[in-house]
Amino acid sequence: MPDNSTKRVLIIDDAALVRAYYRAALEAHGFAVGEALNGLEGLEKLLLEPFDLVIADINMPQMDGITFLQMLRSKELPVSSVPVLVTSTEAGPHDMAAARGAGANYYLVKPIKQETLAEYAAIFCGRR
Amino acid sequence: MIDPPQMTEDEFRRLAEFLYRRTGMVFTESKRYYVERRVWERIDATSSSSFSIYFAYLRSEVRDEVEQLINAFTVNETYFYREDHQLACLTTDLLRERVATKRPGDPIRIWSAPCSTGEEPYSIAIWLLENWKDVDTYDIEIVGSDIDTRVLEAATEGIFGKRALMRLSSEVIARYFHELDDERWQILDDLRQSVRFSRVNLVETKETRPQGRFDVIFCRNVLIYFDDESRRVAAENLYENLLPGGYICLGHTESMSRISPLFEICRYSEAIVYRRPEELRRAR
Amino acid sequence: MPLIRNTTPTAEPHALDERKPAELLATGSDEERWIAVRNAAETPEALSLLTRALSVERVPRVREAMFTALAKIATPESASVALPYLRSEDAGLRTQALDALRAMPASAAEHLSGLLDDSDPDVRLLACEIARALPTDDASRVLGELLESETNSNVCSAAIEVLAETGDAASLPILARCAARFSDDPFLAFAVKTASGRIGSSER
Repeated sequence: MPDNSTKRVLIIDDAALVRAYYRAALEAHGFAVGEALNGLEGLEKLLLEPFDLVIADINMPQMDGITFLQMLRSKELPVSSVPVLVTSTEAGPHDMAAARGAGANYYLVKPIKQETLAEYAAIFCGRR
Repeated sequence: MIDPPQMTEDEFRRLAEFLYRRTGMVFTESKRYYVERRVWERIDATSSSSFSIYFAYLRSEVRDEVEQLINAFTVNETYFYREDHQLACLTTDLLRERVATKRPGDPIRIWSAPCSTGEEPYSIAIWLLENWKDVDTYDIEIVGSDIDTRVLEAATEGIFGKRALMRLSSEVIARYFHELDDERWQILDDLRQSVRFSRVNLVETKETRPQGRFDVIFCRNVLIYFDDESRRVAAENLYENLLPGGYICLGHTESMSRISPLFEICRYSEAIVYRRPEELRRAR
Repeated sequence: MPLIRNTTPTAEPHALDERKPAELLATGSDEERWIAVRNAAETPEALSLLTRALSVERVPRVREAMFTALAKIATPESASVALPYLRSEDAGLRTQALDALRAMPASAAEHLSGLLDDSDPDVRLLACEIARALPTDDASRVLGELLESETNSNVCSAAIEVLAETGDAASLPILARCAARFSDDPFLAFAVKTASGRIGSSER
């Protein structure tokens, strides 16, 4: 049975232009979007409002994406199992392994096409 | 008087993105008119010849311009029971956690830094007396600190006007103040003497360290205005001044996400507060 | 009424540990090492102590204090101690190093041209963020120069992100040329368009 409620996606990236780019893509496909600039702000947003999916970059000030994931997964709250797509400029096996080890659901290498992002968002939303 | 020139949408976006990155505060399109007026006040005050010139000045973090600009947006007066949702969180949640491992008679230490003219530490004292059933069970010490000795003098004197008391009921005022005249009230001696005031620069470890360790610290609306380096040092100082498991509360527009990764985030119904992690038990 | 205190504070300042920082850093607990680092920042041997200690420290909180100490020292030498960690495989360590450099902008700026010229695109990318802390005109000039010859599109995107904040009229043709060179990068086209819009309207 398809779930028709609006899915909420949290974008965590320290680049304002990247957040704007993802927002445009996701809103065009009917998602509601929240933003955070680093892993710490991401955790705060997740504690305050429900999200169906998180898209998190790796290189961010104060708290990087891998540390964010580790903190999130370790909390043992309902929000801890939210699906997380990690994005990065790095395509090396080390970073993918680090992301997977921290509990990422998927890994996308930048630059990411808007259609690709929307496609993966639809796949992972609501999947726990 | 000519109307101030309007900010273009892109100028507004540029400024909003800078302020969001720097402080975490979000300025949406709906706030644009309000922001414009304040920006043009600051452009005038800094004798900048254009928004671009002013923006370059703002970016350079010279002479506290970020604070000047943000202060123009936020209501900055201090008064009793300001941000009372945090006081509610204190009694409902934070102290409950803190006393879980304390025995009757054990100390509870609360720090208000900066304390300005004393409204905050006295508010904490009055709130506890009015709202906390266990206020007599523990040995409560409240310390108020500020970098400015003039406000500390005023705080010690404890005389306040109508606006500072506007959130207090007449019963509370009658209980804790005596009226000097119809413009001024003074905190009762007992209460005045029960708060200790000290001069402290939060960025100077030599000054913060002697204050000792606290169960709860209120550090509102100051950290976000420090430059990068001072923010780091002050956050480390405050961490050192917290007992393991102790809490720190920031101003409601502030977030540790712009300040330091040292603290855990705690979400309570009334507030988001931060915490120094508990000590790990040594595994053997 | 309660809350009456006598005037002697019950606060017990930490007893000053008599052991030397070097010893505490080698053998102390996490907390002891953390305090030792904070105390060591002002000593003359601080830089060599921190350089060594940083290379073996595994606890993030203690490393963070070491980076803060480097930022407090704020010299090109202390910045150079942080630099190698920009290349770390550990994302957390990269973030800590970059945050430390952001906290000592003048010292970090001394190394910037080298970083923007680094053979590793990931280092060049992080260097764009260091450029953000430069005065507006310097940031625009330095990043404009980078964009004219940069071959990695993600590095270009990082530079454009900063230019959206600092750029001026001279940046516009540079941005346009960059978009033309990377015409198949979907994000870069969006970034140039948005950044140009931010810049274009403020030239009055």
